[in-house]
Amino acid sequence: MNSLPHIQPPKFFLRFFRWFCDPAIAEDIEGDLTEMFEREVAHGSIAKANLHFSVRILGLFRPGIIKKIGRSSSFNSSPMFKNYFITSVRSLVRSAGFSTINIVGLAVGLATFSLIAFYVYSELSFDRHHEKADRIFRIVENLRTENEELFQSTSSPPMGPRFLKDFPEVENYVRLQQWSLLAQRNEISSYERESYIADSSVFDIFSFKLINGDKKTALREPFSIVLTESMAKKYFGSEEPVGQTLKMDYDNYKVTGVMEDVPENSHFRFSNLISFSTWSRNNKDNEDRAWFWNGFHTYVLLREGASVDNVRAKMKDFIERNVEKGGMYYEDLPLQPLASIYMAPPRSWENGTRGSMNNMYILSIIAVFILLIACFNYINLATARASRRLKEVGLRKTLGALRRMLIAQFIGESLIITIIASLIAIVLVWIALPPFRTLVESPLSFSILPNAWLVAGVILALVIFIGLLAGAYPAYIISKFQPVQIFRPSSKGIFGHNALRKVLVSTQFIISIMLVAGTLLVYDQLDVVRKQDLGFDKEGMLVVPTNGDTAIVNYLDAVKNELRQVPGVINVAGSTSTPGQSAGNNFTRIEMTDGKMSPTNINFIFVDHDFLNTYQIKLLAGRDFLRDVKSDDTTAYLINETAMKDFGWTPEQAIGKKVQGRYLGKIIGVMKDFHYRSLHTKVEPLMIAMTKYVGRMSIRVEGNDLPATISRVQKKWNELIPYLPFDYSFLDVEFDRQYKADQQLGKVAGVFTGLAMFIGCLGLLGLTAFVVERRTKEIGIRKVLGASVPGVVMLITREFIWLILIALVVATPLTWYLISRWEQNFTLQAVINPLRFAMAGIAVFLVAWLTISILSLRAANANPTKALRME
Amino acid sequence: MNRHQLGEFEEIVMLTVGILYKEAYGVAIIDEIEARQNRKVSIGALQTVLRRLESKGYLTSEFGEATSVRGGKRKRYFSLTSLGSRVLRETQEQRVDMFKAIPRMAFPKS
Repeated sequence: MNSLPHIQPPKFFLRFFRWFCDPAIAEDIEGDLTEMFEREVAHGSIAKANLHFSVRILGLFRPGIIKKIGRSSSFNSSPMFKNYFITSVRSLVRSAGFSTINIVGLAVGLATFSLIAFYVYSELSFDRHHEKADRIFRIVENLRTENEELFQSTSSPPMGPRFLKDFPEVENYVRLQQWSLLAQRNEISSYERESYIADSSVFDIFSFKLINGDKKTALREPFSIVLTESMAKKYFGSEEPVGQTLKMDYDNYKVTGVMEDVPENSHFRFSNLISFSTWSRNNKDNEDRAWFWNGFHTYVLLREGASVDNVRAKMKDFIERNVEKGGMYYEDLPLQPLASIYMAPPRSWENGTRGSMNNMYILSIIAVFILLIACFNYINLATARASRRLKEVGLRKTLGALRRMLIAQFIGESLIITIIASLIAIVLVWIALPPFRTLVESPLSFSILPNAWLVAGVILALVIFIGLLAGAYPAYIISKFQPVQIFRPSSKGIFGHNALRKVLVSTQFIISIMLVAGTLLVYDQLDVVRKQDLGFDKEGMLVVPTNGDTAIVNYLDAVKNELRQVPGVINVAGSTSTPGQSAGNNFTRIEMTDGKMSPTNINFIFVDHDFLNTYQIKLLAGRDFLRDVKSDDTTAYLINETAMKDFGWTPEQAIGKKVQGRYLGKIIGVMKDFHYRSLHTKVEPLMIAMTKYVGRMSIRVEGNDLPATISRVQKKWNELIPYLPFDYSFLDVEFDRQYKADQQLGKVAGVFTGLAMFIGCLGLLGLTAFVVERRTKEIGIRKVLGASVPGVVMLITREFIWLILIALVVATPLTWYLISRWEQNFTLQAVINPLRFAMAGIAVFLVAWLTISILSLRAANANPTKALRME
Repeated sequence: MNRHQLGEFEEIVMLTVGILYKEAYGVAIIDEIEARQNRKVSIGALQTVLRRLESKGYLTSEFGEATSVRGGKRKRYFSLTSLGSRVLRETQEQRVDMFKAIPRMAFPKS
């Protein structure tokens, strides 16, 4: 066995072995390893020898061979840590009041932080559950009309197929359109507002799971329908729905599959999917050619590894090749990544509600603020009460404790407090979760969280981080004491950190004032939105869908008359859609000033004679539709103010202009603008014509005794049209829903501002208690010398008043800036009222003053002899 | 007797240490077991067992001379202690006793 000295075993593994191996046995094992290595080298393969050597070392990394931890250090320190622990617990128990303040503050802070974090996480988790989420994009449109740019979430029916044909990067597409259908089976009939027609590729693109049925064929034939589990249960109970039929509006659909319910964190949700061919079998021409009919949401799936930028680069060319010019121009066709849709600024005709990134930022800031306030409480109280620990620290130092040991001790102490606080926080979260869910109107199920270990790890990291954040500075201060100072306490040496405490307290005040003023201003803004002039009267308006029911269409006037007879009903109108909903978009030719007929795409609502009256929409010029003028039924058009301005007319000029819609007709009137769609967008041009095919009835009722009126209307409705559910909604409620995200923000901000104030007050209470305690003798002497009770209270309060004033000065511009940025999301912005800052300042001052006064009054009223006798 | 129960691998290691007598160090033990038992022995498993047996007092060990092979590291030679050899013997006797206790009919005829 010749040794080959120039061949060495792998260095890295050898070093690893020397590091972990128990030194008592390392030498001979290393010898054995080397011997085996050399033998293998001598036998031939060096690579094999290296590999075996490494594998053997990894095999040796096991208990019994690894050196015992702690055995190597020079002395056993566990009794020391035990002592630290005991003294920490003792000092916690001795000053129970302060510990409670710290623990409660931190617990509430941690609990709110976790709740907000959970909510923000769930809002950001939208649509990420789809397996191919990173390859799915939604085609949206930027359109340019003569006067403005429109941002739409929808696209036209030929878009998807043409994308597939023209771009090699595109693997598949799916088109969806929302339908609202009246589903009927046996005794159950109800509107399924979230029905969607979808290409059969929907199951290949999204990860919706079919429980029953074949995903390849389920949506192939016309009048096929796939139900979600909950809808299947609603209509079929425990029966097997697949193979049965379900009546929707006037057609019978064959149930071809049952799928899992759409997850809560999906940007569009539906109760059922209907085969696309149900629509396209009669609309072949539209499907191929209607480039300007933006009625569909189209999603494309890119091939693996394909870059979306490549597709985007070819977009200009694509638009030029495929789209002829109508009255509008395709400016661009952006592709929205699936996971970004929920948080993106909403476009026109969005499917489903949208979140708001801004609100997420605001909530996150509030969460961090609350946590900061709680930490500052700890820092303040711990440093303020540091003098209490002087003797202990002095003794330890005299006995030879190193500074880093003391730092470890006090950080350990803050960790103990944080851990206790976090345990309480878990209980708090558990209690607060159900009401919090209602507050933010989100189901917040635990299923959206990643695996439990990760969550536990993050929570642990947070607890340690907070422990360090709160504990580091007090530990630094306390461990700095020189033993000599204990016996000769110079006020400078020990209480030099007073300035920092002031900074922290005023920061707390700044945060409190910002939160209070911010919340007030948010409510101001929401109030402005709620009270803004919509151009029509939304109060006391009931909207009932009829889905074009033939009986109503045939006997419209009779039905309306019957309903109008019901006591409490003021007026009744029918229309294809109601304000706040989407309006249809129709291709129309309109006579321009130069007499030519110009093609344009304009929003349409079809109404009956009573629509303008019922909604109290005002006319600028011309007249409303008249019953006496029979031709109004087909050839009369109304336009709104914006449309008029768009075409460059005065109200008078507009009257009589020719319009080629379904029929050739004339403009007979100009309406004042009203918000017929979302409040987030500006009022767009609108045209109104008459129809008998109403899809909705609007019933205006008197404001007093609403429930009785509604039940009377319902009774009449059931007499007239017993098979059609009286599924009413309030128009004002529906309208307010558009600001759901913002209203939620207002509510959540309000609640958490309250909590922040609560935690801040806890800290203030602690600090005051400390100040009062320290100055007991001073107060006693002052009282003996004739100081009055208010004078003494003032003495203690004075310090804080200054801090609040400074905080007000700092908080005002900050809040002003943030709120004015937030208000930019609104078309109609509230004026920021400076009085709100004064109110916030006064509110914070009052709460702080009350907190302080409780304790200082007690001190001021105490018998001075007691204070002076105390030794 | 339960106190001195030997595991299967422990028993084999102790037997091998006995067989090799004065030459029982890590690599030699591995080679011997592999040769006699026709099985792979990992150094990790062996070393853990050796240390465990030593801490139980069944084995004792001492360093040999340093040599130029093995990167200049000394060998550690293991030998049986008197307790170790007693435990080993008892184990063997137990086995033999049990084997003898099997009635002849229990063996299938081959």
